[in-house]
Amino acid sequence: MTHIEWINSLEKIVGPEHVLTGPEADTFAVDGKAPQAVVFPSSVEETSSVMAVASEAAVKVIPWGAGSQMALGAIPERVDLVVALKRLNQMVDHEWGDMTATVRGGMRLEDFQQVLGQHQQFLPLDPPFANQATVGGLLATNASGPRRLFYGTARDLLIAISIVHADGTVTKGGAKVVKNVTGYDMNKLYIGALGTLGIIVEATFRVYPRIGCEKTWLAPFSTLDYAEQAIAQIMDSPLVPNALEFLDTEAARRISTKAQIDWPAGQYALAASVGSVAEEAVDAQIEAIDRICRQVGSPGGNRLHGDSHHTFWHETRDITPGKNGAAPSHLRAVLKGGVLISRVAETFRFGEEVAKAEDLDLCMVAEAGSGIVRFYLSGEDQSPQQFVERVASMVERLRSGFVAQGGSLVILQAEAELKRRIDVWGPVKGLGLMQGVKERFDPCNTLNPGRFVGGI
Amino acid sequence: MIQDKMRIVKELEKIVEPHAVIHKEEELRVYECDGATIFRALPDLVVLPTTPHQVAEIVKICHRDRLYFLPRGAGTGLSGGALASQGGIIIGLNRMTRILDVDIPNQRAVVESGVVNVWLAQKISGDGYYYAPDPASQTACTIGGNVAENAGGVHTPKYGVTTNHVLGLEVVLPNGETVEIGGKVLDPPGYDLVGVFVGSEGTFGIATKVTVRILHKPEAVKTLMGIFHNVEDASNAVSGIVARGIIPACLEMMDNLSIQAVEKYAKAGYPMDAGAVLLVELDGPKAETEALAELVVEVFQDHRVREVRVAKNDEERQLLWKGRKAALAAMGQIRPDCYLQDAVIPRTKLPVILKEIEALSKEYDLPVANVFHAGDGNLHPFILYDGRYEEEIRKAVEVGVRIMHRCIEMGGSITGEHGVGLEKQDFMSLMYTEDDLEAMMKIKCVFNPDQILNPGKIFPTSKSCVEVGQSKRDRIRYEPHRIEKEGLAQFL
Repeated sequence: MTHIEWINSLEKIVGPEHVLTGPEADTFAVDGKAPQAVVFPSSVEETSSVMAVASEAAVKVIPWGAGSQMALGAIPERVDLVVALKRLNQMVDHEWGDMTATVRGGMRLEDFQQVLGQHQQFLPLDPPFANQATVGGLLATNASGPRRLFYGTARDLLIAISIVHADGTVTKGGAKVVKNVTGYDMNKLYIGALGTLGIIVEATFRVYPRIGCEKTWLAPFSTLDYAEQAIAQIMDSPLVPNALEFLDTEAARRISTKAQIDWPAGQYALAASVGSVAEEAVDAQIEAIDRICRQVGSPGGNRLHGDSHHTFWHETRDITPGKNGAAPSHLRAVLKGGVLISRVAETFRFGEEVAKAEDLDLCMVAEAGSGIVRFYLSGEDQSPQQFVERVASMVERLRSGFVAQGGSLVILQAEAELKRRIDVWGPVKGLGLMQGVKERFDPCNTLNPGRFVGGI
Repeated sequence: MIQDKMRIVKELEKIVEPHAVIHKEEELRVYECDGATIFRALPDLVVLPTTPHQVAEIVKICHRDRLYFLPRGAGTGLSGGALASQGGIIIGLNRMTRILDVDIPNQRAVVESGVVNVWLAQKISGDGYYYAPDPASQTACTIGGNVAENAGGVHTPKYGVTTNHVLGLEVVLPNGETVEIGGKVLDPPGYDLVGVFVGSEGTFGIATKVTVRILHKPEAVKTLMGIFHNVEDASNAVSGIVARGIIPACLEMMDNLSIQAVEKYAKAGYPMDAGAVLLVELDGPKAETEALAELVVEVFQDHRVREVRVAKNDEERQLLWKGRKAALAAMGQIRPDCYLQDAVIPRTKLPVILKEIEALSKEYDLPVANVFHAGDGNLHPFILYDGRYEEEIRKAVEVGVRIMHRCIEMGGSITGEHGVGLEKQDFMSLMYTEDDLEAMMKIKCVFNPDQILNPGKIFPTSKSCVEVGQSKRDRIRYEPHRIEKEGLAQFL
């Protein structure tokens, strides 16, 4: 099939007004590689037909949700066609009595939450930039946020999925019930697969009742040692905060400024969010957390509720690199480390040391109870080459430290220059099996070629 | 059948000690069935390794000679998954019982797959921790078996099932290679191989080591029982609890026939004439459980509860649980045999499906007692029959088929926690299309390309891995389904 032929075929499927080519398609570039066309299917059937054409024409396909996480992944081998799902954004059902809900892959998380909210329910996924992300995109990138401590991540919430495969075949996995072991758990396969095995066109979730009352205890700590003890004691207690976030001094400064919280300079921050149907139960836990913090050297903190609670968590999730959160894109990078939960404070120490040695501006935010640490790096006074070298060196040092304890370091966001310099994903266990999975599901390497682990 | 069995026995005896290779028929009988006693199949050999290294050595022999083999834990599974239905070697893992690492600060434990579920809980109890998945057989079943079946339990509404608690695995693949996937740290990059392995019913590989999440024990546990006039009121109470935003740790229901059975058997003090009992367990910080308990009682009262019992101490809590835990054993009070079904419906369909089950029970003149995980919509109808009469067996199976069929029509699933195994492979096509099943086969073929590991399970038809993924026009011709052949298709 020639270029003209496959574009004509796509236009027949979705209508010419839903296919972009030329300069308009350039805005859908991935790591600087612009597609020849962008297609916007509006149904599962159209998506399937689009993929059938794409595979027959042997073009390389990039699935695209809202584009908010397109910086994740290695540089694609080739970009021919972007399949953008923003028109595949319908709500399929909300069985509120059963607490399940089904949406199409291109639906925005925020719109989904609004529908669920009509019955006082919500999907407890709170990834960064939740107001932009689509459901399919956050599944493909396995995005999560602070509340994973209590509610888990997509793997704990997704109960059924529909996939359009590289050749256009549509399959489903799971069932619209919260407990199901009929056949293999195919849901797990597609979560975090970065669209390399198929396009997520429909997803059914187990949803939760909205939290009746929720408050946050925000405690300052002058040293990492004190904070480390507080985290350890809260974790080793029967307390059940739904989020336990640890901020370095710079993150604490920026977030408290944005959230208009009176905050002492140069302090680390530990934030524990507690929710319950009953306010007295929330207060009892907040007081217990406060007691632990004071015992290990915190002078006492702030109780956030209502708007201040929401603003604080919103700003924490959506923090960006740069002193004012606005470093130019070629001078910023975001890394995500997975570490043992007992080593979170130590990881901060390590991060500070390496960033200082590399002369990078750094702020860190950790999901302390889950062992996830995000590093926001910038170098606003540096040349782009200098910045790339320094970040690459930092990635190498952090990665070797984390991998040695069984963890990982992934580059969540960076310009192509850095990706050319260093592997985005780092070493992966079971890579041979993963390559086997890719070969079985996408034998012609149509979907997102080269963007995933080990060159998948 | 393995040709030249004694040669293999000699080779295996070099890997494990001689008494750990079982090859005499009378000794092999122990392994001819699992918890689903209607299925029987004699293995050619059973071998009982004590280390992951021995497992790998045994598997290498199987791979070299293309011998069928499968893993087996305690054999408590309820779908025939641990049977050598096509002959071959059973690798029994219940001598691999080391708890390798209890890592309290990181809330993880690493165990060998033959460790019994409850042993782990006992080991970490002193530190104030527990392992959440608690299938009814937890005093016997192994964690490796739980991984294979993605076992559930009664605490699933709040804590989920096995897959939510397994973070890493060491696996011996069917070619004898040992791989490590996942681990103590969350979010490893790459495909979630641990996630797809859990629940693969021993068809992907043999898990030798399992890394699990362990949880701090809750400060307080509050157990309440509501006794209701009928199942509708109890079902509505379940919906009411959920609508109030309460996530109970457990939400169990029993119908009148179950109540009668357990009362005769266990004397737990349930009123014989009650239509249904609802058992609710709340856990968490004390202030939380106290507040929620008040709300639950309110919901009970909104739905015409006859009586509410609240456990004041652990002894009373055990008493409330006594009847529920005795359910399976108690069924013998009604009929000598029991076919335990396991199917799932959207929770709000509970009253409807229960009416239909009652009608089926009348139509076939077989008692059906219902005990279920009401919080997840996971039904466990106990179809009671007398196995001395061929006709009753046939009727029991038919009732089971019809219940499954209705559950699927209501948007549910044919198994919530027992697995497909041998029991339900013919029903897979009711839930999944040929393409859906093909996608599952693709994954299986990555792990188990020669299909020598646990063959003949889960899938309705056998297909070689060379055929999987071929274009549709090349696919094998239509063959009648086993359900169809046996004349049960009329219900589908």
